[in-house]
Amino acid sequence: MHRTLNVILLLLALASAFAVYVLKYDTRRMEARVQGLERTVDKLEGEIARLKGEHAHLARPERIEPMARALGLASIGPRQYLRVGASPPAVAEASAQAATQR
Amino acid sequence: MDPADGIAPISKAIVRPARRPVRPGLALDLRVRALLALTVLLLAFGAVAAQLVRLALQGTPRLRVTMADASPTAWARPDIVDRNGRLMATDRAVNSLFADPQILLDLDEAIEKVTAVLPGLNAQELRKTLADRSRRFVWLARGLGPKEAQTVHELGLPGLGFRTELRRFYPLGPLAGHVLGAVSVDNRGLAGIERMLDEEGLAEPARGADRNTRPAVRLALDIGVQHAVAEELRRGLRQFGAVAAVGLVLDARTGEIVAAVSLPEIDPNRAADLLDPELLDRLTAGTFELGSVYKILAIALALEHGLVDLDTVLDVRQPLRVGSHVIKDHYPQRRPLTVREVFLYSSNVGAGMLALQAGSERQRAFLDKLGLLEPMRTEAGAVAPPQLPQQWGRAETITIAYGHGLAVAPLQFAAVAAAVVNGGEKLTPTLLLRADAPAKHDRVVTEATSASLRELMRLGVTHKAGTGRRAEAEGYGVGGKTGTAEMPGRGGYREKSVISSFLGAFPMEAPRYVTLVMLFEPQGTGETQGRITAGVNAAPVTARIVERVAPLLGVLPRSIEAHVQAQAPAPGAPAFDAPQQAQ
Repeated sequence: MHRTLNVILLLLALASAFAVYVLKYDTRRMEARVQGLERTVDKLEGEIARLKGEHAHLARPERIEPMARALGLASIGPRQYLRVGASPPAVAEASAQAATQR
Repeated sequence: MDPADGIAPISKAIVRPARRPVRPGLALDLRVRALLALTVLLLAFGAVAAQLVRLALQGTPRLRVTMADASPTAWARPDIVDRNGRLMATDRAVNSLFADPQILLDLDEAIEKVTAVLPGLNAQELRKTLADRSRRFVWLARGLGPKEAQTVHELGLPGLGFRTELRRFYPLGPLAGHVLGAVSVDNRGLAGIERMLDEEGLAEPARGADRNTRPAVRLALDIGVQHAVAEELRRGLRQFGAVAAVGLVLDARTGEIVAAVSLPEIDPNRAADLLDPELLDRLTAGTFELGSVYKILAIALALEHGLVDLDTVLDVRQPLRVGSHVIKDHYPQRRPLTVREVFLYSSNVGAGMLALQAGSERQRAFLDKLGLLEPMRTEAGAVAPPQLPQQWGRAETITIAYGHGLAVAPLQFAAVAAAVVNGGEKLTPTLLLRADAPAKHDRVVTEATSASLRELMRLGVTHKAGTGRRAEAEGYGVGGKTGTAEMPGRGGYREKSVISSFLGAFPMEAPRYVTLVMLFEPQGTGETQGRITAGVNAAPVTARIVERVAPLLGVLPRSIEAHVQAQAPAPGAPAFDAPQQAQ
């Protein structure tokens, strides 16, 4: 009776040792994976920061303004504001002013 | 054993040596033990074999080379954004090359190869530093781009290595450079807002810093307005041949600095610019005598003490004498002038008389109350302290009334002037966006005095004799005062070198923004008939600035504004909001 129990316990001990080994191995693998992912996250975050900087650099007013002017855009003039339901002559005047600004 | 036998049966003893009786079941026990050991060994070898097979089938895991120091060194700083969230400064990871002279094998080969890839390095200096074998760490080049770093890496030289460092990057180039300041090679703030970040503990060691969850620092500046002001100033600089210029747009109610330009600008990407005296931030780091714009304060002083009203007549026909000096008017009218006209014709004699009526004591107390005499600070550091006269007698009282003898930083003057026109509430200029509604400000002049000054300043632009006529920007109700101050030189003032300035506000009946434009040493041109006064240069530059920035700031032309207010559900509640206020 005792012997059988001992044998079973021994087998169990062996099995759990093996399980611990497997777990440890798995954990290491996952740790490596986590590290890899963290590196990727770091890299991508750096990339995002770089792209944000690049976007801000490309969208700087100093660069946009000449392009906008080349497209015929100009600052809004005081007569280009209209009330909702403005009379047709006022609309015509505003668009005329917009045209002269170009 | 039988004692009768006598002799012990030896053979028996030999044949059957004494041994313990074999217990039944022991044989089985032994077999089980052997089997067990065998099983364990088999399992162990089996596990090894299985692992080998698995590895053979899976192939070796891909090798990753990890740098010893993968996380960036130096200091991590929060991003800086403008009031609308547009990026002004950010950290960027760069590679910096270092050497360990002890490990370096062939010095000549290393130097030759590295200088071939990085031509910026000096071979002789490199040899000197690398020859010292006692050192274990020498920076060779910091802030390399990814391509350069890769090329150096591919040289495969032992003893060379990279560290990832954070480098500050200002995507807008020189725009708002004076406000932002600059950082050192270790990413520590040296000046401007950058130094504030260090002082406030917002810059942290890069290791462990969470770069992406950190909130950005939000400035009160509006990049669009800042650019428009800088552009128009540059245009003015070229048009009038000035050597430097200053432009400021200040929120008259909150004290927020929406645009702050000092030309020539510094590029925060080049920290050495900070040391160039030519590139000084004239808005805050220099003090100047601003000339006639001070008459705003002289008249406010007299009104505040109830000495005069706008229609009081002053006899300004006789010049004022101070010792050997004679103070005259630039545009003498040869008749007595009302206070209104003193402002309009910018009469030095009139301003001096008003100040004399109030007296030195009250003048000084008034300027002190306005905050013009104490050192001022912004988030970017201390503003150059006011240069007070050594004694404050009759002569100083007169000259300060028309803007000489008391030099202050332009920003400080603009803040004081804003308080005079905004209804009389003292302002603290701020470079940071105010999160909540401004607290109740100290009152420095009465509402009535402020209203009178607003009337005068508008008149200075609309009246046919006003010196600020050219500051009119259609629809926005600009008001203001011109000032042309001779610059102090060797042995007195230099008549041909002036600082011309225009202190303006719009819309004048309820100012939302105060502007200050200054041109240093403008030249006369054909267009200005050789004149160098503020009315022909600083005033038109102000007009162009207001025309451009008013739409950006959500200030509506007055014709539309009146209509909107008539339809507004509750007085004071804006019917439709400026774009930046909607955020």
